[in-house]
Amino acid sequence: MKVIYTDSLVIGGGLAGLRIAIASIQRGYDTIVLSLMPAKRSHSAAAQGGMQASLGASIKSEGDDEDVHFEDTVKGSDWGCDQDVARMFVNTAPKAIRQLSAWGVPWSRVRKGNREVIINGKKVKITEKDEAHGLITSRDFGGTKKWRTCFTSDGTGHTMLYAMDNKAIELGIPVHERKEAIALIHENGICYGAVVRDLVTGELIAYVAKATIIATGGYGRLYSVTTNAVISEGIGTAIALETGVASLGNMEAVQFHPTAIVPVGILTTEGCRGDGGLLLDKDNYRFMPDYEPGKKELASRDVVSRRMIEHMKKGKGVSSRYGDHLWLDITLLGKAHINKNLREVKEICEYFLGINPVKDYIPVRPTQHYSMGGIRTNATGESPTLKGLFSAGEAACWDMHGFNRLGGNSVAETVVAGMIVGEYVADYCENNTLNINTKLIESFIKQEKNKISALINRNKGENPFELKKEMQEIMMDKVGIFRNETDLSKAVEDLKVLNQRAKNIALKHKISSSNPELVEAIRVPKMIKLAQCVAYGALLRKESRGAHARDDYTERNDKDWLKRTLTTWKDQDADIPEVKYEDLNIMEMEMPPASRGYGVDNTIHHSDTEKREKQIQEIKDANPDADRFQMQKLLNPIEIPEKFKEKNERIGRGFK
Amino acid sequence: MNKQARTLKFHIMRYNPQIKTDIPKIKTYEVKEAPGMTIFIALNEIRETQDSSLQFDFICRAGICGSCAMIINGQPDLACRTLTSKFPDGEIKLLPLPGFELIGDLSVDTGKFMRAMSERVESWIHDKSKSDVDFNKMEERMDPDAADEIYELERCVECGCCVSACATKRMRDDFLGAVGFMRIARYALDPRDKRSNQEFYEIVGDDDGVFGCMTLLGCEDYCPKDLPHQTQIAYLRKKMAMVK
Amino acid sequence: MENLIINDNIKKSRLPARLDLVQSGTGLVLGLFMWAHMFLISSILLGKGAFNFVAKTMELSFLSETGEGYPFAVFFAVLVIFTLFIIHAALGVRKFPISWKQHRIFRSQMSMMKHQDTNLWYVQVITGFIMFFLGSVHLYLMLTNPGQIDPNLSADRIISHNMWPLYLGLLFSVELHGTIGLYRLCMKWGWFAGKDPRESRKKLKVIKNKLTIFFLALGLLALLVFSIMGIMHKKHVGEPYEKKEVLEKSMHIKTSPMKKEIQNKTKSDQHNTSQNISNDKKI
Ligand SMILES: Cc1cc2nc3c(=O)[nH]c(=O)nc-3n(C[C@H](O)[C@H](O)[C@H](O)COP(=O)(O)OP(=O)(O)OC[C@H]3O[C@@H](n4cnc5c(N)ncnc54)[C@H](O)[C@@H]3O)c2cc1C
Ligand code: HEM
Ligand code: HEM
Ligand code: SF4
Ligand code: F3S
Ligand code: FES
Repeated sequence: MKVIYTDSLVIGGGLAGLRIAIASIQRGYDTIVLSLMPAKRSHSAAAQGGMQASLGASIKSEGDDEDVHFEDTVKGSDWGCDQDVARMFVNTAPKAIRQLSAWGVPWSRVRKGNREVIINGKKVKITEKDEAHGLITSRDFGGTKKWRTCFTSDGTGHTMLYAMDNKAIELGIPVHERKEAIALIHENGICYGAVVRDLVTGELIAYVAKATIIATGGYGRLYSVTTNAVISEGIGTAIALETGVASLGNMEAVQFHPTAIVPVGILTTEGCRGDGGLLLDKDNYRFMPDYEPGKKELASRDVVSRRMIEHMKKGKGVSSRYGDHLWLDITLLGKAHINKNLREVKEICEYFLGINPVKDYIPVRPTQHYSMGGIRTNATGESPTLKGLFSAGEAACWDMHGFNRLGGNSVAETVVAGMIVGEYVADYCENNTLNINTKLIESFIKQEKNKISALINRNKGENPFELKKEMQEIMMDKVGIFRNETDLSKAVEDLKVLNQRAKNIALKHKISSSNPELVEAIRVPKMIKLAQCVAYGALLRKESRGAHARDDYTERNDKDWLKRTLTTWKDQDADIPEVKYEDLNIMEMEMPPASRGYGVDNTIHHSDTEKREKQIQEIKDANPDADRFQMQKLLNPIEIPEKFKEKNERIGRGFK
Repeated sequence: MNKQARTLKFHIMRYNPQIKTDIPKIKTYEVKEAPGMTIFIALNEIRETQDSSLQFDFICRAGICGSCAMIINGQPDLACRTLTSKFPDGEIKLLPLPGFELIGDLSVDTGKFMRAMSERVESWIHDKSKSDVDFNKMEERMDPDAADEIYELERCVECGCCVSACATKRMRDDFLGAVGFMRIARYALDPRDKRSNQEFYEIVGDDDGVFGCMTLLGCEDYCPKDLPHQTQIAYLRKKMAMVK
Repeated sequence: MENLIINDNIKKSRLPARLDLVQSGTGLVLGLFMWAHMFLISSILLGKGAFNFVAKTMELSFLSETGEGYPFAVFFAVLVIFTLFIIHAALGVRKFPISWKQHRIFRSQMSMMKHQDTNLWYVQVITGFIMFFLGSVHLYLMLTNPGQIDPNLSADRIISHNMWPLYLGLLFSVELHGTIGLYRLCMKWGWFAGKDPRESRKKLKVIKNKLTIFFLALGLLALLVFSIMGIMHKKHVGEPYEKKEVLEKSMHIKTSPMKKEIQNKTKSDQHNTSQNISNDKKI
């Protein structure tokens, strides 16, 4: 039995995982990063559009600060987020981006003088200030009041991940590639590491650690058409679920991005619309202003996606052999802009569609994109129920996105969470010793070994590829953008059947070393469980909030549903998870529920909302001299690691 | 649309070094072509319906992550963004990238190689004057053009095409290879990296480095991200040749 | 700022940098020299007189009062070129595939990719290898017989002394190697990159191809003319070119005793050296 010991075991080599590993090693703790692939290939690299941080350097982001960012984030989440976490996040994001800048990300910079931009379909001249020249610039993104999304052309995630991984290499952090965590080792509510399968040799290795961090990204591949990477299968999330102890939060909150290309579902960044691109229907008519006169194409993603589906249902979609779609028009941005700032998009159009976006419209359709849900953690990133288990990034439900995340807030989250949770992980390593019986390790290894032998030895049974396909179709058809009781209950029933069938997978190719079929066979049952968490959670949530839109319950119901879904899977023989809810306390909210300012507002309000509004007014009246920092402390006193407490400097206003 | 769907023939190298008795061989698979089919789609179809043991690597399937480089009819390229319609005779021969450790079939270990490369060229910002930044303060300014230029070189996805396309690298194991030159060029361009030419010389100033490059330009011609290999290697060579 | 590495004594040798420069430098000089060389040789296309004039000029005949020239000049020129040639070759050989295995890898890479610039390099290696032998023989001959550049004697060498296969091989080798080499030099050091280096590369490649064709054609033509002359001159092997008619004509106009002297002197000189050659041959 091979056992590897370390202080902090980071499962996942994306932005979030690497940042935590860096924090660990900088605090003097031993760390190992596990990844399915070389870390630089993690899905973080695919983020094109940008990272939100309120630097306020560009002229169109003047006046931006943590407070505005906070407001946008909470509105975006449809008040489903944890406001403490959102606060920690917005306060730390500028630091994160500045640190990354020093680590090598070549952020696009402000260029002084005049510049032509497209706003609302029209050419507008803006003038950048001389004194801002050379600072990090930003672009417009959906659901934001200011131009806040910082970027490097359209390779933001790529440059961030490269800088991060290079930093990790500088610090000598070992990344064990082609290793897949397939189970967590835990006992009595404490997590001790993971059972890991070497994807080349097939060997099972126990990685034992004080702190185990899951940063394995999203679970987009539960759906048949998604912008996500093929490895975004949610296995990290699933192994936490399979402990029966850790819980998953808000699994039904699944985001659909408005503009993925048809049919393959590859994303064209929100930057297309942020920079002035328009959505057109089959008559080349710009329809968004009819639905959303305020933010138009740049309302939040959930809203735009729904409007597009609505419009297509009216028969305005362009029909193609792959079903209906709409057009994304970026021709008006001009060749120079596209070649420079949207080149990745251009390459994608050329290679996958054979069109030139400088001249042609891009066929797009809303497509699964982001998993707001994930391993539930508290503000320190630790699972409230399984000690020593941490999670960060898209895999986690740290919960700053609630029911809809804003574009650019996700890569920002990975890094900020990496910084903050990284400190708490280091604290945990400092305060705990590793105390584990080798018998326990052995028993976990044995359990996984037996499962694998069973798969290999079974002569006849289900085909894992087929099961996966069926699951993906169910999710796509019945747990999509618009949801209803009938479809959802059908989905839950179908997934129950699949869950049973998944216990009877047999392999055609019976070797235990590198064998893609075996990999699939190990993953598919886990994925079906996750899918069930999403479907079942969606069925139970009888309201519409953010990305979760029910045809049969169209209103946002703060009265009954201002709460977080918590899912656990205690009984391994069960076909559905146990679901509990955790209330969001309005009386502690810095920003009590209100209208988002886009989308339909038919909220059923909670009685606390008014109370809290009044209370806030009173606090404001009682402290007329309080500046915004003091006010925030009064309204929303948050804990944040010492390192990140300082104020952020901005051009033209210093530390104010 | 009413064109008869073609039957594509995939000739794929099969070899699993994990199985001691296995020997490399070419196997042929037939796939009905679909509109817009990429090699990514075709290979998955083969794995799902014909041969579940077929190994290959795809991650982003959008030409972004660099994991799917292989030799497609003799040319190194990203398989995920290669449309099958590109091949008029419907014959597609796939080999794993040469120059890397083979994991199995079409899958090679580029990760180990790239990590070693990064360590060798010290692929990070060097600035002895600062141990860490004060991230509360405004970031250091950078000329907007400089930022754009760095990004041009930062677009490398470590796919390894340039390594496989370089006969020099294939002949001489210790040769750094174009991806390393691009990385050096990227940091040499970056005003934040305070390394001097002498320091860069220590890394690439020999026949395993830039003076070993025989200007075969396979790197330039096969880089799927169109990095300016030729100009950058020339620039680096000039700089290194002039080091006192 | 203090430089750590320079203070440490792990400083890397600057030799590879120098050698690379020398390789390119010698290549450049040789490459350009070959252009000049081919023009000079092809003066034969304008007639024996022209070639003779060139040959004499090369011997710096215009410097001497007698107009007799100094074969030494050619000797030194050849020595310089020979030295460059040897240095260049020695540096070039370092790049050759050193083992059968490396060679096989290179070949398999070529047949796999069918990539032009890679193939061109192989052409350089092969032609370099050929020139290593053929070029040395030619240069050795020129070095040891500096005064024997003469339309007739050259033609004799080519036909009667059976040098034409060598020259043919050398011609193809050097023209391919040289122009490819010059193109590679531009790529290697980024010369003539212009605003759009990729466009420039395409253009340079076209120019390279045109130059190869041009010089090959020129050389072949010259070789052909030499051969015809050599065949016609077979009966008089070893007899140098005399500017008979020209001289006679000028004598008609104005018989100068000085000119006569020159005439006689060059005659005897050439006679002597041609004997040398036949002696050489005997040995
Ligand atoms: C196409 C696209 C574009 C996007 N654009 C933007 C954008 O512009 N702005 C923005 O803010 N966000 C964007 N996002 C979202 C954002 O990129 C992701 O949410 C974020 O990068 C996730 O990072 P991560 O570190 O959590 O996980 P990932 O980067 O997905 O990394 C997951 C890691 O976990 C490893 N792993 C997974 N499972 C296991 C296992 N079982 N064992 C061991 N290792 C495992 C993987 O190898 C990988 O290293 C985009 C997303 C997509 C799909
Ligand atoms: C014995 C004869 C010769 C040999 C073995 C030889 C070998 C080589 C080799 C191997 C190279 C490639 C160097 C590299 O890739 O870095 C080269 C380059 C070159 N050669 Fe030669 N060569 C010979 C003679 C000549 C001659 C006679 C000329 C003149 C026309 C010439 C001109 C060049 C040029 C211009 C280059 C490019 C220089 C460079 O790449 O740095 N070579 N030679
Ligand atoms: C200073 C040095 C050199 C001198 C003086 C010289 C001189 C000559 C002369 C006089 C001839 C005519 C044939 C003859 O007389 O035999 C000739 C032909 C030729 N030389 Fe040279 N040469 C020199 C260097 C080189 C080099 C370095 C090369 C190439 C490696 C070369 C390649 C050739 C070729 C190919 C021909 C035949 C040309 C033809 O007729 O097409 N020479 N040279
Ligand atoms: S330089 Fe180009 S070919 Fe080489 S690894 Fe990077 S992207 Fe691939
Ligand atoms: S192919 Fe190789 S030899 Fe040099 S120019 Fe590129 S690294
Ligand atoms: S799969 Fe990512 S580049 Fe091909």
